[in-house]
Amino acid sequence: MPSYQLTVNGRVRTVDVDADTPLLWVLRDTLGLTGTKFGCGQGVCGSCTVHLDGQAVKSCQTPIKDAAGHAVLTVEGLSKDGSHPVQKAWIAEDVAQCGYCQPGMIMTAAALLKRKAHPTDADIDDAFADHVCRCGTYPRVRSAVKRAAGGAK
Amino acid sequence: MTDRRDFLKVTAAGAGLMLGLRLDAKPRPGEKPAAAFRPNAFLAVLPDGTVRITVPKTEMGQGVRTALPLALAEELDLDWSRIEVVNANPGPEFKSMQTGGSTSVSSTWMPLRKAGAAAREMLTAAAAATWKVGPDQCRTERGFVLGPKGQKAGYGDLAEAAAKLPVPKDPALKQAKDYKLLGRRTPRHDGPGIVTGKAVFGLDVRRPGQRFATVLRCPVPGGQPKAWDEAKAKAVRGVKGVVKVPTGLAVIAESTWAALKGREALATTTTWDEGSARDFNSADLETRMRAALTGAAEDARRVGDAEKALAAAAKVLEAEYAFPYQAHTTVEPMNATVQMLADGAEMWTGSQSPNRAQEQAAAALGLKPEQLKVNVALIGGGFGRRLGTDFSTEAAQVAKAAGGGPVQVVWDREDDLRHDLYHPATLHRMRAGLDASGRLSAWAHRIAGPAVLRAWMGGQKSPAQASVEANGALDIPYAIPALTVDFAEVEAPTPLGWWRGIEIVPNVFARECFLDEVAHARGMDPLQFRLDLLGDQGIVTFGRDEADIRRLKKVLQVAAQKAGWGRGLPKGRGLGLACHAYDGRTYAAEVAEVSVEKGRLKVHKITCAVDCGFVVNPAGLEAQVEGGIAFGLSALTTQITWEKGRTVQTGFHDFPVLRLADMPVIETHVVPSAEAPSGMGEPPVPLAIPAVLNAVFAATGKRIRRVPLEGGQI
Repeated sequence: MPSYQLTVNGRVRTVDVDADTPLLWVLRDTLGLTGTKFGCGQGVCGSCTVHLDGQAVKSCQTPIKDAAGHAVLTVEGLSKDGSHPVQKAWIAEDVAQCGYCQPGMIMTAAALLKRKAHPTDADIDDAFADHVCRCGTYPRVRSAVKRAAGGAK
Repeated sequence: MTDRRDFLKVTAAGAGLMLGLRLDAKPRPGEKPAAAFRPNAFLAVLPDGTVRITVPKTEMGQGVRTALPLALAEELDLDWSRIEVVNANPGPEFKSMQTGGSTSVSSTWMPLRKAGAAAREMLTAAAAATWKVGPDQCRTERGFVLGPKGQKAGYGDLAEAAAKLPVPKDPALKQAKDYKLLGRRTPRHDGPGIVTGKAVFGLDVRRPGQRFATVLRCPVPGGQPKAWDEAKAKAVRGVKGVVKVPTGLAVIAESTWAALKGREALATTTTWDEGSARDFNSADLETRMRAALTGAAEDARRVGDAEKALAAAAKVLEAEYAFPYQAHTTVEPMNATVQMLADGAEMWTGSQSPNRAQEQAAAALGLKPEQLKVNVALIGGGFGRRLGTDFSTEAAQVAKAAGGGPVQVVWDREDDLRHDLYHPATLHRMRAGLDASGRLSAWAHRIAGPAVLRAWMGGQKSPAQASVEANGALDIPYAIPALTVDFAEVEAPTPLGWWRGIEIVPNVFARECFLDEVAHARGMDPLQFRLDLLGDQGIVTFGRDEADIRRLKKVLQVAAQKAGWGRGLPKGRGLGLACHAYDGRTYAAEVAEVSVEKGRLKVHKITCAVDCGFVVNPAGLEAQVEGGIAFGLSALTTQITWEKGRTVQTGFHDFPVLRLADMPVIETHVVPSAEAPSGMGEPPVPLAIPAVLNAVFAATGKRIRRVPLEGGQI
């Protein structure tokens, strides 16, 4: 039986699943980390976004064999208490409506700001091109990214 | 539970709801409210001063877990930071919960305030008796009663004494000027749980021993599997079994992934009896709808004799508008978790109709409703989809057939697109007559399409069918001497359901765009044309609703003024507007600013003015305006089409909802009102499309009468 080792939110985990199992389901079903959401399984809604070695990836499109040996960060590991600048900005801008797509959005925002401290509107458009929010929180997502970047709203 | 501190019961008037308040000084862990009461919301004050408010509406992003507790907390003078919000579950206390129609605030506003006010009077009286002072010498503040000589007692400490006092029948309510919480911007109560990933949606439910299931359904709704071979599915690691259920074949597995893979393997072995809908297609439906645009129909509203007025008109304009099938595509796919028990069952699911979900799943299991406990989870998007009970009933059937412990039935995105309860397509035949002086003398709006209400009524035709399907058309607010609005039902073998904005979306699209056509045909400014037609009307009755046209006129003027209506714009850029009085309760107008460059439409900004009565939470209102507009704009590019009885679309790749880069700037203006609050979930939705398409005409001279836009192009 295949066995894979990876670091999830700073903790080494060993999972026994098939090689093609998407990281998404390892997180949600095997490790019980349900903060990472299933929205489409087709890589086009962004709800399942996590960090793999600091890069935003879609966990529904990342088989466990590719995640093995790497460091995975999920929304649960972003901060101990919601104190990550992106989480704080999300609260300050009151972004969430139903909230389901938001962990994925937050992980994309955190990765974007790591890559580029002061993203332009075009950078933000680009980073969120693969995200769907059916509630329409987009204007506040944009504001929250800018707030987290330390810029004016 | 004889040793329980007693309850106080408040029967609230207004919406006819019963409200139960519970002040319990020493609740036991896990203790449930007594079943003897039938409230729509509970209030419990814990010994540490925490106040637990049970919300009888389902949170789906519209903010009920913030707005509803605010009304109660205001009257009770609670410390907002110490409230705990829990969802109501269906049962004897909550017999008819339903979340839809933008009614959550309006239907609970008065009962919740009265509940809070009654509790406040009783807590004050209890403190006053202890201190031997008059109640009028005491006041309340942030969870405490304060006495005239500096005495101070927390609500938790007073609960036992307060519970023994009579319940005031008509407690005094606060004046709006004294509000400390209502009318202020209050962030979403669930925000911290959402941003940390701790918020539990239906799909996040995890029970000990839980298994996961997918259902292989016929791509043609109503079809059934003819033959299949379980062996291939069972060969997938983690698959526990395959069971037949009324909707198809369920694959039971140890993980979601195994259930998905097992289903894929099973599909390759399955043949179908596709049933009677197998030849259904969109082109044929459209032909039948077009035929229904003339001939017999059912009246929704008649004023004067529109046919006669059209015959006598100096000029008649006629146009056909088309709106497609639409899907909800909530980002959280449908799901429910069900555990069979020795004497019943338990369910966890996100439902906008928890009582219907309970009744129908219980019936499918051969249980009485009270034998099925339903836990209402947070909803990852509702938009009307989760008023349906198909997915929860199916999950119950799967759990029963599977036997053993809890099973979570998971839909994927293709299931969602292929087995939605769709908003149906409609065609609209619009006719307007202008008399010799150029006055709009006649208006005829014929709607042809499948009837959502019939589907909701289980296939039965309701006497209200024509008026429900003509919502948004029959309540045309303009003063026209002769008008007729009617509905011709066209059958379609597809599941149907309520969709955010309901029939108002296509009907107002056709109405407000065609009115624009008439204005331009008259050589008039579309704003002035509307203002003239709204005229000096006061309260107008449309069937069971009445609307105050003065309030509509005001929002139209505010939106136009704030958007800079009439200002010069560069070539290729234009402004367009639309307005509507939603169910005669919420008045809204939107002005869109667009540009069209090389055929590509860009919506730059939408300015929205609303009058929805008193605004409970301005932050929540703005979010609803932004979200409602985003939902409306998505329908410029999305559609469901049918070929060989199945949907062509299978995911977000071919059902392209609005994304961040295409979201316009939204500016919201509230026209202050002292009227009771109405709703904001749906009213912004139907105006987005006509405002944008009227702006496209202003920018390009091209009139678009059909959505979606082909490839997003003009």
